[in-house]
Amino acid sequence: MRIGSRELKLERRESLSGWQATGISILAILVALAIFSIIFILAGINPLTAYAEIFSYAFANPFVLPLTMNRFIFILLCTYAFIIPFAAGLWNIGMAGQLYAGSLTVYAVLLALGVKEFQSTQLPTTLVILMMLIAAMLGGAFIGGIAGFLKGKYNVNEIVVTMMLNFMTFWVVSDFIKEGGIFMNPGGRGESFELPPSLQPPLIMGVPFTIFIAIGVALLLYFVLRRTKIGYEIRAYGENPTAAAYAGISNFSIPLLVFIMGGALAGLAGYHYFAAVPGVYKIARTYGYFGDLAFYGIICGLISRGNPLAAIPVAFLFGGLSIGGRLVQGKLGMSFGVDYALLGVLMITLVAFQFFYRYKFIWENSQGEP
Amino acid sequence: MPACRSTSVYYNHIRSLEVIDITPIEYRLFRVTDKDSQTGIQDNVLLTEECPVQKVLIQDIKRGETILEARGITKRFPGVVANDQIDFKIRVGEIHAVLGENGAGKTTLMKILFGQYQPDEGEIFIGGEEVRFKSPLDAIDLGIGMVHQHRKLIPAHSVIENIILGHPHAGTILNLKRAEKEVLEICEKYGFSLDLNAKVWQLSEGEKQLVEIIKALYRGAEILILDEPSSALTPMETEKLLTSIKAMSRGDLAIVPFITHKLPIVLRISDRVTVLRKGKVVCCIDTSEATEQSLAKEMVGREVIFRIERTKVEKGETILQVDDLSAVSDKGVVALNGVSFSISEGEIFGVAGISGNGQRELVEALAGLRKPEGGSVWLDGEDITFADSLKRWQLGIGYVPADRIAMGSIADFSLVENVTMNYYFDHEYYRRGVLDTKKIRELTNDIIAEYDVVTPNADIVAKCLSGGNLQKLILARVLSRKPRLLIVDLPTQGLDVGATEFVRNKLIDAKKEGACVLLISEDLDEVLSLSDWVAPIYEGEFMGILPGEDAKRELVGAMMAGIHLDEESA
Repeated sequence: MRIGSRELKLERRESLSGWQATGISILAILVALAIFSIIFILAGINPLTAYAEIFSYAFANPFVLPLTMNRFIFILLCTYAFIIPFAAGLWNIGMAGQLYAGSLTVYAVLLALGVKEFQSTQLPTTLVILMMLIAAMLGGAFIGGIAGFLKGKYNVNEIVVTMMLNFMTFWVVSDFIKEGGIFMNPGGRGESFELPPSLQPPLIMGVPFTIFIAIGVALLLYFVLRRTKIGYEIRAYGENPTAAAYAGISNFSIPLLVFIMGGALAGLAGYHYFAAVPGVYKIARTYGYFGDLAFYGIICGLISRGNPLAAIPVAFLFGGLSIGGRLVQGKLGMSFGVDYALLGVLMITLVAFQFFYRYKFIWENSQGEP
Repeated sequence: MPACRSTSVYYNHIRSLEVIDITPIEYRLFRVTDKDSQTGIQDNVLLTEECPVQKVLIQDIKRGETILEARGITKRFPGVVANDQIDFKIRVGEIHAVLGENGAGKTTLMKILFGQYQPDEGEIFIGGEEVRFKSPLDAIDLGIGMVHQHRKLIPAHSVIENIILGHPHAGTILNLKRAEKEVLEICEKYGFSLDLNAKVWQLSEGEKQLVEIIKALYRGAEILILDEPSSALTPMETEKLLTSIKAMSRGDLAIVPFITHKLPIVLRISDRVTVLRKGKVVCCIDTSEATEQSLAKEMVGREVIFRIERTKVEKGETILQVDDLSAVSDKGVVALNGVSFSISEGEIFGVAGISGNGQRELVEALAGLRKPEGGSVWLDGEDITFADSLKRWQLGIGYVPADRIAMGSIADFSLVENVTMNYYFDHEYYRRGVLDTKKIRELTNDIIAEYDVVTPNADIVAKCLSGGNLQKLILARVLSRKPRLLIVDLPTQGLDVGATEFVRNKLIDAKKEGACVLLISEDLDEVLSLSDWVAPIYEGEFMGILPGEDAKRELVGAMMAGIHLDEESA
């Protein structure tokens, strides 16, 4: 494109600093909000008012903030479930299945301890909660590990396997909590039996303790991927499996390992929402919805470019908007699905703006005659 | 006014052009001011921007006169001047070799001549007319043909189908008969013999190259650019190619081979040589006045020693023992068929052969990247037939793969991280699972200094390094582990004279330090000058194992083509 004697050119970036990436992402968010304003204008609502409502509701309202935080923790854990395999160049599309499996194993522990029957247990609460956490990780890791094993051993496409496992575990959960299933709620409401109050984990300012796990994992992952031997092996495999094999890095154990790690974290997300978030404390009837929500982990992982620290603000934004978007629907009387639409526009814009991670516009004085 | 009464005005002849009348649409009046400031009114000007110059027929230009001239070509890339004021002339009927190290600007110049790049400064003239190429299509239309180093043919199609692919005459309905007749005429003219109905995958590398040459000629090429024409060919095929090139130059074609090394070939076939160094033309002389030494000196900028004296080292104990080793290729066919050999301390064992005769399978089976089908491998008396590659690194096998970019390095990793590839498993370089990056960085800096790797620092990504520098880094990384067995696969492929000399000397140093070296090479001179043992490989079998001093060029060349040592001597 030419304007006057200057020419707008697209050039490949040599490198991208963290700040440039942040700047591009913020710009993308602003552009997405600007684009979505059209919907508000068409509905006769001032977009500025609408956004003010959404943001103040999601991030400043003391009653809603814990809800936002719950979503945020959930999405963040799902993001890690994506990021770890992603560092090895593999795509985990199976957070949903892994978290269903995690939530099942959590309730299986309770079942085994007789909690369903007696509504209590003699073991110390801390121990039981620890067992539930470990069970959640094992459950998620098992489902994830299937994909990792098949990838490593037979080079079966991990996207297909993880996605199929989502459906499978969905129906397995459904079978367990339906009328007559072993996890069935005694009231038969199509959900699992409830966690007795004694096993409900403590809240810190209305937020479950899982937030410490989520933030801690971010720091740990950041360190592990960048500084450790295993992190190096994962990244080398992700960049170039052939070169990794040449250097002696196993093309079997790395896929298996990253999917086990990713699955374990998705399993924790399952524990978080179905055994730690106040007011839920059961595998809810709407568990499928959380499966959908888990997919935000993919988008957050892509936007943060696999950086576990960058994932924190991104997941926070998505958590907040998924809550705030709902409000617009009700409060401003907009049609159903506006929250999804808003998040959808945001995702598309953020992904589209990733173009600028690789390219930049430059102004150039064009010389000579045209 | 009939539409046929149009006047063609070439874009580069016009200084200004003014539309006077544009109604009706078929009949336009223009005021045209041409180069010599002569103004005239012309009707229905066909303004062709894309192809401003008519094709200059080479027959119109006398043999020995300039057909293509480049003046003051300058091309800058961020941080480098790839071509700096290059002047370059090609005459009809000459073979004009362009020599230069990697990164000397040969490729850039070639891409400019072929229209893939546009120069920042400078002009190109064909037959005295200035031309501007917007894309290779313009260059092809003006009679420039190019044969790339890597073949761009469709293996499943026949020769004739490949030749007419993309030809304007091909159209929608193929007239294979006519095409075949025309192609046969070309073959006859230059004395090529080729089965036009054979499938390309059945052809040898040399024949494939010939197909590409014929394709360019059929497309009307009169100036033929050949990129590293002899790099993938056997000695015999190279002979054939040189004969073909000679024949073409007699037929009044201008031929421009671009060559990195193989100076003897340049001396044998070319009429003139242009040597590039660091983007500049350092000399342009008649080949009759040049010697191997003088050309190498111009290329590198200093004296280069060609003949590496084979240094005998006291033979030590056997390190590698391979018995009856077999392996299958990725396609599942037996590619390595029972080879046996052993290498001792201080020996270089050279495997000579054209790529695809089982070398890859041999090397990968030794490096632990391919499961052997049969046989056994022993290292220092330990059976490692089925050990994985990590174990072999730890036991002291060092492997420098042929594919530096896809296997030997990780393009988006920094140099430090690339050096880590051979150290991440070393207990001295990590503690409690955390890598000692500081120590690896020091090592990387040492390597860069000792091996003279040209790079701004150790943190740039590997893909920014030139081929020669990357090879130095990989070799240095592997050698720094002080391997017992060093496997080097095509170590100097694509490297320039200076880097080649460097790498070969390092192999000799490794040998002197008591390592044993398995050298895989297509370059007969390399194998013959370095190896203590020479094993020509053909279709997965050694045709014999000769002591280095007995390995004569002709004998090894024949064995590489499938003649067994016993048959030869019988």
